[in-house]
Amino acid sequence: MRFLLLSLFCVTSCNWAAAPAPPSPCEDHRKHGRREAATACFNNLVNTSKNPALIAEGFWGLKNYKAANELFRKAVAANPKDPHVRVRWGRMYLDHFQKVDAAGLFEEALELKENYAPAQLGLALVASESFEEKAVEMAKEALKNDPTLVEAQELLARLALEEGNELKAGEEAEKALKMSPEALDAMAVMATIHMLNDRDASEWTNRILKINSSYGQAWSIAAHFFVINRRYEEGIQMYYKALELDSGLLETKSDLGVNLMRLGRDVEARKLLEEAFAGGYTSAATVNTLKLMDSYKNFDTLLTPKTDIRLHKKETALLKLYFQPELERAIATYEAKYKFKLKEPVRLEVYPDHEDFAVRTMGLPGLGALGVTFGTVVAMDSPSGRKPGAFHWASTLWHELDHVYVLTATQHRVPRWFAEGMAMHEETANNPEWGDRFSVEGITAIRDKKLLPIATLDAGFVRPKYPAQVTVSYFQAGKICDYIKERWGFDKLLEMMNAFGAKQTTEQIVEQKLGMKPEQFDTEFLAWLNKQVGNTVTHFEEWRKRLKQSVALMKEKKYDEILKDGHEIRDLYPDYVEAGNIYEMMATSFLEKKDTESAIKELMAYAKIGGRDRDVLKKLGKLLEDKGNKQEAAAVYDRINYFYPMQDEELHRKLGDLWMDLKNAKGAVREFSAALGSKPVDPALAYYNLARAQKASGNKDDARESLVSALENAPGFKPAQKMLLELTDK
Amino acid sequence: MKWISMLLLLANASFGASWYVTISGLGGDPEYEVRFAGWATDLDKSLRNIPDAQVSTYIGKTATKETLRKAFAEFAGKVKPDDSFAVFLIGHGTFDGTDYKFNIPGPDLSAAELAGWMDKLPATRQLVVNTTSAGGASITALQHVNRTVISATRSGTEKNATLFARYFVEALRDPSADTDKNETLSALEAFHYADQKTVKFYETQKRLATEHAVLEDTGKGEAVRAPSAENGKGLTAGRFPLISLGNARKFSPEKTKLVEKKQDIEGQIDKLKYEKAAMPSDEYRKKLSGLLVELARTQEELDK
Repeated sequence: MRFLLLSLFCVTSCNWAAAPAPPSPCEDHRKHGRREAATACFNNLVNTSKNPALIAEGFWGLKNYKAANELFRKAVAANPKDPHVRVRWGRMYLDHFQKVDAAGLFEEALELKENYAPAQLGLALVASESFEEKAVEMAKEALKNDPTLVEAQELLARLALEEGNELKAGEEAEKALKMSPEALDAMAVMATIHMLNDRDASEWTNRILKINSSYGQAWSIAAHFFVINRRYEEGIQMYYKALELDSGLLETKSDLGVNLMRLGRDVEARKLLEEAFAGGYTSAATVNTLKLMDSYKNFDTLLTPKTDIRLHKKETALLKLYFQPELERAIATYEAKYKFKLKEPVRLEVYPDHEDFAVRTMGLPGLGALGVTFGTVVAMDSPSGRKPGAFHWASTLWHELDHVYVLTATQHRVPRWFAEGMAMHEETANNPEWGDRFSVEGITAIRDKKLLPIATLDAGFVRPKYPAQVTVSYFQAGKICDYIKERWGFDKLLEMMNAFGAKQTTEQIVEQKLGMKPEQFDTEFLAWLNKQVGNTVTHFEEWRKRLKQSVALMKEKKYDEILKDGHEIRDLYPDYVEAGNIYEMMATSFLEKKDTESAIKELMAYAKIGGRDRDVLKKLGKLLEDKGNKQEAAAVYDRINYFYPMQDEELHRKLGDLWMDLKNAKGAVREFSAALGSKPVDPALAYYNLARAQKASGNKDDARESLVSALENAPGFKPAQKMLLELTDK
Repeated sequence: MKWISMLLLLANASFGASWYVTISGLGGDPEYEVRFAGWATDLDKSLRNIPDAQVSTYIGKTATKETLRKAFAEFAGKVKPDDSFAVFLIGHGTFDGTDYKFNIPGPDLSAAELAGWMDKLPATRQLVVNTTSAGGASITALQHVNRTVISATRSGTEKNATLFARYFVEALRDPSADTDKNETLSALEAFHYADQKTVKFYETQKRLATEHAVLEDTGKGEAVRAPSAENGKGLTAGRFPLISLGNARKFSPEKTKLVEKKQDIEGQIDKLKYEKAAMPSDEYRKKLSGLLVELARTQEELDK
């Protein structure tokens, strides 16, 4: 969202380089809600001015971006050394959702005039749209160079509030109001702080409406903060209020449409997005959301009393076999853990195209590489949306579903760190093999003492100070919840969750529920964490060096040397299961030495620590099968289903056969159904296998139907003919 | 398929010999030299297992245009109208915007030259499997009535080395490629098998597919990605017996009646499938089920 798009400009010829210019009549009309007068004023600029920059301003005010763009181009050509024209042009681009073009012009202005505050403000606004840390820095720089720049001060207020620092946001807004008693957006920030805390905001809203009785933008600003705090329903009400006051706020219409779409209210969403689009608001969010909604026709809807699953038609046959039962299982688990039931079904949307999924997460800070939750709606990547092993869909599903419960229980009044921490905790609580492994980023952050205090951990999610900080914050938050559960029990986490729902702060909750100051908690948590991962952090460089040596030894086929140090290297960083891991090197070495048992042992360790290379697991499965250990082999193959059940008919067929041998007919039905859903090369065989499993599970009618399908593909398929007669004659 | 029953009944009688010519071209670098030669060798092995097959394989240096020209001239004198004749091109192809050329030692072989040689063959069932890059550009020159043309790429602009050949060769060894379970792998079944495997390879590797196999078997019109009754492609390819996976059998006079009954039921099943879209699905399934049970009983009798 952009905050304040209007600025000051000269009406008649003036010295553009002079700063700052007095408010123009056009701007003054608009600011005070005198729309007709503003329009007349902009028309007058277009019709009477000789200065291309002013005519451009007129067109821009009339939302004729194309004409304004042409005129700005001429104005820059006429005044190539004037930074102000470039800044104004950039601001127009920013208003027209062209961030990159805008940033280019602000940079050019700064080249023409070092420390030019309006250009620095422009860059701060650009950075703020992507929740970049440098937004604060640039806004401060702008204010330093021009202490009268109210807009920069208002931006600082907004940025502080985005970080969840209400105190600071209030202080920054007060400063803006001292600079200008009509700083509407500073008032909007003040009103928002009250609203977020369920306090009466009328002092501020009345002041706003007194200045401009149709200033809907103030409610749009409030809505933005409700949305980034995941309070979508309340945000939506704010957007509606904004439109009540000013139905011409196209960006608000678009934002409202996007958020309605997020909550699954597609009809209202489409109407608003189409209105915004028709009005000329063709931002990427608007267009992409409409495109995404158009693509819904390609999805199947699977309904049960507790679930509403949307799968792409091309994947439904396969994914329903895994997603449906896993979602049901997760719901049952969370109902027991969180001690309440959801009032509506969980809607789960699974996107094979990551770009579609990305549209779902647009405009939210630090969110959504894999999944995202909006109320009771969960959207996530399909396993097919990424390379095999790149993400664990089941783990992601449990993570997102945990958000549904925590956000519902707290009515969305929960800091990011706690919501994410609980979700990360649940991933591994459900299955230790799931969840993220201890990453290099985590090791580096601990080594460099970059973990944040619990009281300010949210900042690591919202406005990261270094590229990996979001990932590190997820890790830290998860570990904090692990620690609390281990030391105080899961009920303590529930107590904390309920306290957040009762609007207590992290500091208050740590003191009251855990009985210590947040600083003391940080110290004790870090000591606990150090016991867990300190060895890896301390010996990280040594591990890296020795692993590199092992890779070289592998190339030279010096298997004995690999095996000599392998376990020591593994124990320095047991979570490392990525490319070039020691588990695989050791297994290969053992196999070269014909020691299959030891190779199996290494690969089992790899699987149990969370190794997710499909080929490696399949190799392990084969070794186990060859040894006659069908139960373990089936368990290994089944692991693959939870991160990448796609594109592998052979895997499903093999696992189906194993389940048949192990008398697990239900498992076999699932796997042979999956083989069938994998677009098999040999559909007749796939149907026949399914029929075998259905027959074994006592479902003879289904078996007969499957046989008819098998023979429809291959009428002369003798095993299927034989079974069909057997079932028919009985 | 209907023609298979006829094949079983009339084995050793109506259909002539099967001719197979495999040409493995230049690799350009050692990796491709090895890869192409390996696929050609594997294909050669599979084909030589076919009883009475006439197999000619040209790899590397032996695959010059002059050698091939002479060989085709010789084939033209030996091949009979009842015979089937299949040509496999493995290697790199190029397209300069006008002509497709298959890269072989010495002068390259153009699609028009190969078509000219094949036009002189009396065989009324012909197959060209062009697995090379840019092979899509060869289709127009090669297409002909009673000739199936399969290309690993849909146009001359798909210039990257292909994987289609690997899976086409695999189809000849994998019983699952025989999807109608009639113990004969048709050119159409091999095409489907190789295409599906190729598509899956790119999808699994999350790589942009640089090859899209197509088939043309009517002698006119565009080659298609998915041959079907709707687009009128695939009938000729479905009748081209690439390799037999079972043994041809002769029947006693008593069993010949059962074979005729079986063929009749198969015919009814084929007809029902064509009518599927025009009838309620329950009715279709009921009729299909009845015919399939009848067919199974007949087969049971036949196998006694």
